[in-house]
Amino acid sequence: MQPGPRSSAKLALAISQPSAAAIERAPAIQVQNLSIVFDTNRGQIIAVDRVSFDVSHGEFVCLVGPSGCGKSTVLNTIAGLEVPFEGGILVDGAPVHRPRPDVGMVFQQPHLFPWKSVRRNIAHGPRVSGKSAREANAIADDLIAMIGLKRFADAYPNTLSGGMQQRVAIARALANQPRVLLMDEPFGALDAQTRAVMQDNLLELRERINATIVFVTHDIDEAIVLADRVLIMSAGPGRILRHLKVNLPRPRSSAIMLEPAYLSLKKDCLDLIRAEGLRAFQQSDES
Amino acid sequence: MTLAMHDAPSTREPIASPARLRSGNGGFYRLNIAIGALSVPLFLVVWELISRSGIVNIVLFPPPSVVAVAVLEWIRSGQFFWDLLASLYRVTCGFVIGATLGVFLGILTGEFALASSFLSPLFHILRPIPPIAFVPIVILWFGLSETGKLFLVVWGVFFTVWLSTHIGVQKVDRGLIRAAMMLGTPRRRMLQEIILLGALPYIVVGLRTAVSIAFYALVAAELAGTFVGIVYRIEIAQQNMQTGQAMGGLAALGLISFLADRLFATLAERIVWWR
Repeated sequence: MQPGPRSSAKLALAISQPSAAAIERAPAIQVQNLSIVFDTNRGQIIAVDRVSFDVSHGEFVCLVGPSGCGKSTVLNTIAGLEVPFEGGILVDGAPVHRPRPDVGMVFQQPHLFPWKSVRRNIAHGPRVSGKSAREANAIADDLIAMIGLKRFADAYPNTLSGGMQQRVAIARALANQPRVLLMDEPFGALDAQTRAVMQDNLLELRERINATIVFVTHDIDEAIVLADRVLIMSAGPGRILRHLKVNLPRPRSSAIMLEPAYLSLKKDCLDLIRAEGLRAFQQSDES
Repeated sequence: MTLAMHDAPSTREPIASPARLRSGNGGFYRLNIAIGALSVPLFLVVWELISRSGIVNIVLFPPPSVVAVAVLEWIRSGQFFWDLLASLYRVTCGFVIGATLGVFLGILTGEFALASSFLSPLFHILRPIPPIAFVPIVILWFGLSETGKLFLVVWGVFFTVWLSTHIGVQKVDRGLIRAAMMLGTPRRRMLQEIILLGALPYIVVGLRTAVSIAFYALVAAELAGTFVGIVYRIEIAQQNMQTGQAMGGLAALGLISFLADRLFATLAERIVWWR
């Protein structure tokens, strides 16, 4: 079942350039002195401690760190889902307080609406933002073709594999043509093989869309393969240890993991993480 | 709750699926069907034998043949039709009103903490009061009118549906809500689509339980003074010492609520269409 007028519904992802010149000058995302404190029954826990970084337009940034370092919390804050925080979060120069449709999010779980078919899941965003069913379906069908799930357009999520569901979740986030795409360990729940395929898919997809991407993972390989820049975080409290520029050529695929340049980058990362891990271990031993 | 939910499709599965899975085992499957078909006739034969054996008083414990004659007479006189109609009317109207209120208030208390703080304590205190305990006061309030009968059925249905909706709304996957928020879903749409459909599997379980409860409440309702209805007929038969008629009434009540439950189970699978 194909929609009628394809031409009118051509995905405008590639031309979703910022309208105002002022917006263009500001970085896509600015995180300024972000601190987040959680109240627990054992007292206050500093989850994120004065974290600052910028992400420029179209950049692909990976946040890497051990479990519990607050990387997902940082991402949720940029999404507008984490309410109380100190410091500033600006997306396109405007402070973030609540979710906004030009910031898309892909979670670790696909969280697809089980009562909607693949097409209608993807069309949900355009629909609630006021597009007609026809327009929304055309956007969905373009994205379905892009993620290679044409045969499953009318299938319900519970009939899809985990990898397929996550592809639909990515397409659903892209349907709103977000200027910023946030991804919270989106491949974390997948097996190693599916994960590698998904990484290649994302790299391909990224060549076709123009969104700024912030991707959270605890997998260093995944971070280096995907990112333009890797931010390495430490745990307890969450801080940014280092920014690491990934100057590997694009377009990439996961095959790049065999290149010497890749391996030396990975070695830098591992050394840093090992030193930090050792420090944290000694610290916890002393206290 | 989830267990009860999965119960819906599984009740018909054991008859159909094992045969498909184990086609080599068709003999066992046929035996199973044969034994299943024997269940009710065998029960009737044993009942007939015991009633006629002289161990029990045949007037108080009539055999199925006598019950069947009484039921046929009931149907032939035309009374059965009106009794059935009156009872079904009370159950259906009471169910629809009670269920609508239950779903509406369940979403309200499930979603809004203030509404829940205000209403939940009250509902939890009122909920355990069985409809039959209301019969005396309902007669005082509504006399012998149909309103009183509806009140009792609504009372029984409402709390069950309210509670399952309330729980269902609170159990809606937070991840779905976050995903919907990130896609820019407005508040109204969130309630009408994400929350309502997310809670639907629970609501359906509550509705199905409420079908049986509606029939319990019907008994109370028709004891609260009426002139037509299946339970009313049982009561009259008891006063006239027509035990065959009384038992026929019980059988009819059992059969109708069984059919209603089956019908609802079939319907439930269509309501939760994505499963």
